[in-house]
Amino acid sequence: MAELSFEPVRVEREVETISRPSLSYWQDAWIRLKANRRALISLYIVIGLLLFTVFGPFVWTVDPAAQDLDQISAPPGADRSATVVDDYAVWRGVTVDVPAGGSPPAAELLAPGAVSVHGPAETRAVRLAWDPVSGAAAYRVYRNILDPEPDGALGLPIADVLDPAQVSFEDRLDLKPLTYYYSVVAMDALGNESRAYRTVGVEVTRVITAAEAVAKGLVEDGDTLQPGDTLNLAAHPLGTDYLGRDLLARLMHGARVSLFIGIVAPFAFVILGIVYGSAAGFVGGRFDQLLMRFADFVVALPFLLFMILLRILFGVGAGESGIYPMMVAMVLLSWPGAARLVRGQILQIREEGYIGASRLLGAKTNYLVLRHMIPNTMGVILVTLTFAVPSAIFTEAFLSFIGMGVAPPTPSWGSMCNEGLKTMLTTPHELIAPAAFISITVLAFNLLGDGLRDALDARMRSAE
Amino acid sequence: MSEITEPSAAGGFDDARDATPAARLDWGALWQLLRLGLIGFGVLAVILWLLAQWNEGGAGNAVDAVTGTVTLTLSQEPPQMDSTRGTDQVSFRILGHVMEGLLRYDANNRLVGAVAERWEGTEMLWTFHLREEARWHTGEPITAHDFVFAWRKVVDPANASQYAFIMFGIENAEAINRGDMPLESLGVRAIDERTLEVRLARPLPYFGKLTAFATYNPINEAFYESRAGRYAADAEDMLYNGPFVISSWVHGASLRLEKNPNYWDAGRIKLNAIDHAYITTDTNAVLNLFKDDKVALTSLNAENLDDALQQRWRINRFADGSVYFMELNHAPDRLTSNYNLRKALQAVNDPAELVYKVIKLPGNLPGRSLFPVWLKGVNGYFRQEYPAPEQVPDEALGRRYLAQALDELGLDEPPTLVMLTGDSPSANKQSEYYQNLFKQKLGIDIKIDRQIFKQRLAKMTAGDFDIVMAGWGPDYDDPMTFGDLFASWNENNRGRYVNPALDEAVEIARSSSDARTRMEAFARVQEIIREDAVILVNYELGSVYVANPRVKGLVRRAVGTDPDYTNAWIEEA
Repeated sequence: MAELSFEPVRVEREVETISRPSLSYWQDAWIRLKANRRALISLYIVIGLLLFTVFGPFVWTVDPAAQDLDQISAPPGADRSATVVDDYAVWRGVTVDVPAGGSPPAAELLAPGAVSVHGPAETRAVRLAWDPVSGAAAYRVYRNILDPEPDGALGLPIADVLDPAQVSFEDRLDLKPLTYYYSVVAMDALGNESRAYRTVGVEVTRVITAAEAVAKGLVEDGDTLQPGDTLNLAAHPLGTDYLGRDLLARLMHGARVSLFIGIVAPFAFVILGIVYGSAAGFVGGRFDQLLMRFADFVVALPFLLFMILLRILFGVGAGESGIYPMMVAMVLLSWPGAARLVRGQILQIREEGYIGASRLLGAKTNYLVLRHMIPNTMGVILVTLTFAVPSAIFTEAFLSFIGMGVAPPTPSWGSMCNEGLKTMLTTPHELIAPAAFISITVLAFNLLGDGLRDALDARMRSAE
Repeated sequence: MSEITEPSAAGGFDDARDATPAARLDWGALWQLLRLGLIGFGVLAVILWLLAQWNEGGAGNAVDAVTGTVTLTLSQEPPQMDSTRGTDQVSFRILGHVMEGLLRYDANNRLVGAVAERWEGTEMLWTFHLREEARWHTGEPITAHDFVFAWRKVVDPANASQYAFIMFGIENAEAINRGDMPLESLGVRAIDERTLEVRLARPLPYFGKLTAFATYNPINEAFYESRAGRYAADAEDMLYNGPFVISSWVHGASLRLEKNPNYWDAGRIKLNAIDHAYITTDTNAVLNLFKDDKVALTSLNAENLDDALQQRWRINRFADGSVYFMELNHAPDRLTSNYNLRKALQAVNDPAELVYKVIKLPGNLPGRSLFPVWLKGVNGYFRQEYPAPEQVPDEALGRRYLAQALDELGLDEPPTLVMLTGDSPSANKQSEYYQNLFKQKLGIDIKIDRQIFKQRLAKMTAGDFDIVMAGWGPDYDDPMTFGDLFASWNENNRGRYVNPALDEAVEIARSSSDARTRMEAFARVQEIIREDAVILVNYELGSVYVANPRVKGLVRRAVGTDPDYTNAWIEEA
């Protein structure tokens, strides 16, 4: 046989080739998370919220406690143009001589002959005067935003003019740039109203003086303004609340409280839960029983009561913020959930073959826990965390809602909802804005948690 | 894969395409099940509907002409129904319906006899003749002893009544209240069962008006003692002599009054029951109940005025008569005892802005004085004879006062003050307005201490505040009802303001029967209060309300029971 007939077998070194770079656990999870559109959008929303909270106040530098009393409860996009006028001058009103004598009963009193408006009708004052009614002992002035015809609903009894010689009235009460219908009714000595009334329609314009414009920071120099100029009042993109405070600024500052509680508290109690649960699960036996019974005991503690006790313990006085006791109460009472989950996982993993192998190879306890067990429970932990965030935000909202949270004027989303609720029917934007933020945040965290659970579940790794 | 040949029970429905007898049978069973379910649903619906009906019967409609019932709300649970110790408007409102003193105000606000049939008064001696037919609701007669017992209880230092001062016009009352004299020395005596004699310490032209006030109500001694400290704690712990009795009192939830058949003038009373079915401070809730025809009266607030206009309701107004102010704590350990700090706060206070832009409710007047505009002076109105200057804010002046105050107090920066306030939405709004105002204008931080009514009263009494948002309603129709509020001996002087000059002016007004001398003394009180910044006056309260148009004869008044339903009736629909 020729030597060439045989050739030594070449040792095949490369049994298999890696066609693609290997994926770590996290890379794989990230790919799967990216494939989940809902989770991805939620992630962007969460990032957006954090940016809104952290950087928002640098962009929108309005003081959340500043009160713009000219624009109370203004909805978003409300008209804000105002006409510049001269300074306010006191009006003495109109008086007439009234002959002394008894006044006839109300049924016999007539309506005033005419009601007229003195000077321009402005948001700072509307000045009315009317012809005296013979025999009237007093007058009552009504104001309506609707025409009193056809059913004679005169509207708001805005003033009683108790002196019959006084036949004028200056209305300064919360005037808006609208058309008002003023009605004047004569009254008898017993305070009964005549059925007859006289109505005048008045169109009111919004005004501002140069001094006010400077004080509000609308213009640098008041001398540049001439009476008759128009200018715009301060802008409030999301409107204002019941004291004219800017809702956007309040939402940004409120988010600081809400998200601070919503993120820090869950992190703290989840970490506490991990340590507690993994200790219980790893050691097992009687120790495990003891720890878990203690966790059961903590679950049974009433949160609200604990919260109140902690407020006292912390010495939170009247009118002070209860954020820290709230957080401590949450951490102290919310960890058992996470601890139970982690303990369950650890108990399961402890019996897995690879743990036994690792142990045989001489791995120490620390290594076992940190290298094998915790990473394998990571999915559960992260999911617990993302679900804990919305629940913590809700808890903060609830506690601020019942007045145990932040102290005024610090806003939080919960307290803003509480205030907005009171005027829900008339100015819904005060409730809708904070409520929408709470809802979107909670939904985003929930969907992100869902996506993370799917992405991090090791069993779904092969199911690409 | 395992072979499953037998269709599962549920599978029968899936295979509806082949109408085997078995499938038809299933359809039949389903149909039967459906019928059963429908019947069950029907029965449940009927039961629920009946329950709802029964419930409606329980809560009632706003007015019920058949049973003569009016349903109302209370802003809070009456904190103290013991007439010797009550201080608040809610308790007085209920007391005004279930109890009666010697005299009362009628529908036209005239003083008429109640338990007393006749009375005569000289300068220092008043005699009241009690009606023979006046009865407790148990049927026992009311005697002069019941008044003697109750009035002694009011001035008894052990009872610690905050309204004891209202009795100080009676001989020895003040000394007894200080603990210097025995109770028996009080200048009130039952000559016989039906004659009560009152000796005054000084001439009191308005003593008759005083006896219409709830603190002067009678209490039966035997009954009081039998309750062993629980008198007036519950519906059955009281004896009633007014037009109504409390028939049920579920604490914190409802309070129902029913007509008292043993009331001496029961023929006058047309309503059979007044059901305070809801106790809530939430004005929106009350407004919605009114819209749903569940309650007969709602007051309106700034937020729902437009809504009321859209409904085209007939809106009424009435001057409440009370004055709201920020009371400052004058205790020496408080910063607010510093004159310049108080003046600084006063200088930036702008009642007009508060009323026209924040409260926004017609009828409220920007506060100028402790004495409201409706009080009568010598001939006309007190405030027309002794005008109070308008409070015009002056920021620069406030800062000057503040700088001086900081200097005197040895502080480097403006202090933090605690503002005690109620928990109603309007209290929130006002306190937050002032928090911002004092911060912006003076740099003073305000901590807002929100408390429920009872707790706020307790904290006010204990002096646990720097500033408290408080108000004072008139007890009787004389400037004195406001004038002696900040006298050093007055228990309702919560800030413990002590000023001999003010005490002296009050003393002059108390002891004189000359109108001009008295009014001049009150003018001095008005001046001291403003000059020394004892309180910061915010506004005079007015209110707007809507009542069910079928309720007639409702009386609203500044002095006395308000709202008063004792003269009311329901118009047939």
